[in-house]
Amino acid sequence: MDESTLSFLDRLRPLGGWLSRRQRARERRARIDREDALKYIHKTEAKGRRPTLEGVAGALGLTLDEAARLLGNMQTAGLLVDSDGTPRLTAIGRDSALHIIRAHRLWERYLAEETGFAEEDWHGRAEAREHELTPAELDTLAARLGYPTHDPHGDPIPPPDGALEPHGGTPLAGLTADQAGRIVHLEDEPAILYAQLVAEGLSPGQIVRNVTRTPERVHFWTNGDEHVLAPIVAANIFVTPLPGDEAATAVVGRPLTDLPLGESACVVALAAGLRGQERRRLLDLGLLPGTVVTPELRSPGGDPTAYLIRGATIALRAEQARQIRVTGEEGRRGVRERGKAFTPAPQHPFTPAPSSPSGVTNDADN
Amino acid sequence: MSVLATDGRQLSTGDERRLVTDGPRVTPDDILQTAARLRREVGQGFHEQLMADMYADAAQLAGRAVTQPGEAQRFDLDRAIDRIVTSRLWGFPLMILLFTLVFWITIAGANIPSQWLSSLLIGVVYPWLNSAAAAIGVPGWLSGLLIDGVYLATAWVVSVMLPPMAIFFPLFTLLEDFGYLPRVAFNLDNAFRKSGAHGKQALSMMMGFGCNAAGVVATRVIDSPRERIIAMITNNFALCNGRWPTQILIATIFIGGLVPAWLAGFVSAAAVVSIAVLGVAFTFGVSWFLSRTMLRGEVSTFSLELPPYRPPRIRQTIVTSLIDRTIYVLWRAVVFAAPAGAVIWLIANVTIAGQPIAVYLVNFLNPFGLLLGLNGVILLAYVVAIPANEIVIPTVLMLTVLLTGASGIDSGAGVLVQTNSNATILSVLGAGGWTLLTGVNLMLFSLLHNPCSTTIYTIYKESGSKKWTAVAALLPLAMGLIVTFVVAQVWRLVGI
Repeated sequence: MDESTLSFLDRLRPLGGWLSRRQRARERRARIDREDALKYIHKTEAKGRRPTLEGVAGALGLTLDEAARLLGNMQTAGLLVDSDGTPRLTAIGRDSALHIIRAHRLWERYLAEETGFAEEDWHGRAEAREHELTPAELDTLAARLGYPTHDPHGDPIPPPDGALEPHGGTPLAGLTADQAGRIVHLEDEPAILYAQLVAEGLSPGQIVRNVTRTPERVHFWTNGDEHVLAPIVAANIFVTPLPGDEAATAVVGRPLTDLPLGESACVVALAAGLRGQERRRLLDLGLLPGTVVTPELRSPGGDPTAYLIRGATIALRAEQARQIRVTGEEGRRGVRERGKAFTPAPQHPFTPAPSSPSGVTNDADN
Repeated sequence: MSVLATDGRQLSTGDERRLVTDGPRVTPDDILQTAARLRREVGQGFHEQLMADMYADAAQLAGRAVTQPGEAQRFDLDRAIDRIVTSRLWGFPLMILLFTLVFWITIAGANIPSQWLSSLLIGVVYPWLNSAAAAIGVPGWLSGLLIDGVYLATAWVVSVMLPPMAIFFPLFTLLEDFGYLPRVAFNLDNAFRKSGAHGKQALSMMMGFGCNAAGVVATRVIDSPRERIIAMITNNFALCNGRWPTQILIATIFIGGLVPAWLAGFVSAAAVVSIAVLGVAFTFGVSWFLSRTMLRGEVSTFSLELPPYRPPRIRQTIVTSLIDRTIYVLWRAVVFAAPAGAVIWLIANVTIAGQPIAVYLVNFLNPFGLLLGLNGVILLAYVVAIPANEIVIPTVLMLTVLLTGASGIDSGAGVLVQTNSNATILSVLGAGGWTLLTGVNLMLFSLLHNPCSTTIYTIYKESGSKKWTAVAALLPLAMGLIVTFVVAQVWRLVGI
């Protein structure tokens, strides 16, 4: 019995529906496979590699036969063309792939900004959700999130009708020991390696220094902590080298948790791990780069610590304070003097040097 | 506004020039592309840059224009108080002392007005209403429904509920007004953090010991969405004012009766306190569970302001807390208790084939109740007493008398029973087939069952979510059924 006879019988049956429901589920499964294959081929092409049948089968968890049938169907549908045995995306195929990538990254951004899901949950949830969103829904989502340009891992989000730009980073291991770099991207696949990067507290925007490597290990420093990773894990970190002068002026500081009770320091930066509503709350409290903070009280339980921030006493938990970086020993004297006169820092420590391309400076104050 | 002004001006003049020289060839597409390019150049961080500069400018202006004489001195006093109330040595003992004091004043102070109210509303007004109704010839069924049913249930709830709340809430509000409560949250936050909750949940929980509906309203101070829903759902595990009398009565007659008379007071008090402590343990356990399962995706943030201490404004505090909390809660309770009174009277008086409806219902629920170590009367009482926990025990007594015809309590069908003699209650309950297991499981079930309808309604109003309201209502009920079932089975297996 073929499909049409079955669905015809199904319609006749008064209590029916399960057959058509099953068929809808099957169609959905096929669409998801198609979209995942498009995404995989696009990613492989973007990395300058050759997509293969085996690669598709491996990425989607299909047998070679199933993958071959899938690619055949996609060619019939005009999503792929075959050039010398290599599947290549057509214009339509590329647009569909970009839509899926856009959906994935926007959804990750949404999860990071507006939900409480843990960092290691984002990718899996976005993998499921990317197939359910229409272009119109994505536009609404992008507008709601303030038209983000990057996902939380540092990957650029493709614009609705534009091409995907690469993140522009090079693997961490490419840095030399005396070169500093800024993390621009953390690869979130495979999930188990990404979980290690999250556990190390790494995030895009951090400055990396003193990279040294042996065949077994890659050593480097961020935020004053040493990290040691297996090369396969470190290969998922992408950086751009920092110009020499910027690397010299960038203040790394130390975590707020290291500041003893009663001592004042100046906030250098809020780490990317503080995001969404939590970050906005801290900014609303006036906890910004340049603000003077003083730990005042510690809870008898040991955890929240109350800080004097702009005349108010605000308790923060250690997991938050750890992500706030303040000036270290060397910056403290300057901070005290400024704090006395109630004047802001003439130049925030995190502001790039005037020569930097964005040209963001503070000089217009006067 | 350095950054954007400078930055924006540079960018816009440059682009204007380009657009102007391009002249007639400018299309909407060009403008969109320019906008997209600018968005990339400005980057994601500009909101924060803008905010940092606003604060910097504001601080500079304030530094030039504002002086605060006397501020430093007051600040030092605040800090000195803080060092004591949050110290490792004094923090917790002070807290326990203060709250014990609040509870003691509430319990000791509420007894007398409670008796006054009860003797006025039930001892004076009730017979007067009855004779007035008889005098003007109101038919028996109508006066029964309105006076024995609606009026008596409402009077009961008011006399049990009003005095403790009228004492507890103003005291609590005074502590709040003085600025002490945020310090309690600060001291206890570590324990709540470990179970995925917010330190301020300590305050809504404390309020829940007065009344769960008020406790749910008090979760408004928790500004993090996930922790606030957790606090709402778990507030029911704080034993409320309506359930304390049940606990105390059952502990006194069943558990206090197990030991010699000189120990009875202490043992029954210990039993009640351990039920309350069990409730706190459930609060932490369920908070932990919820934050890791159902509520994983809700946004979670933390910040806790420790405001400066203020001398409490006593009169204003008492007035606002009476209006905001006491009257609000009482009004809601009355609105829900009145129909419950009518239902109780009806099930005891409307008969089918010569038997009141209540008898059929009790017989239907009895096998299920026995499985839980309870009985049909208790289950029916909990169903009709959803509006207010206060009327559970009177309903239980009334139904038991109705079913068994036990003597010692002289009242009509559907009339809520009031008696002050524990011996009479014990003999009535004994006639109803109660054992020690029934008593223990009633205490557990009183802690673990759905919140009263006032609280459910408040949770719905506060959360705006049917889903969380349903979870808050059904989760404790399911837990109560499981716990009482397990206890009953183990009890019978061990053969106590």
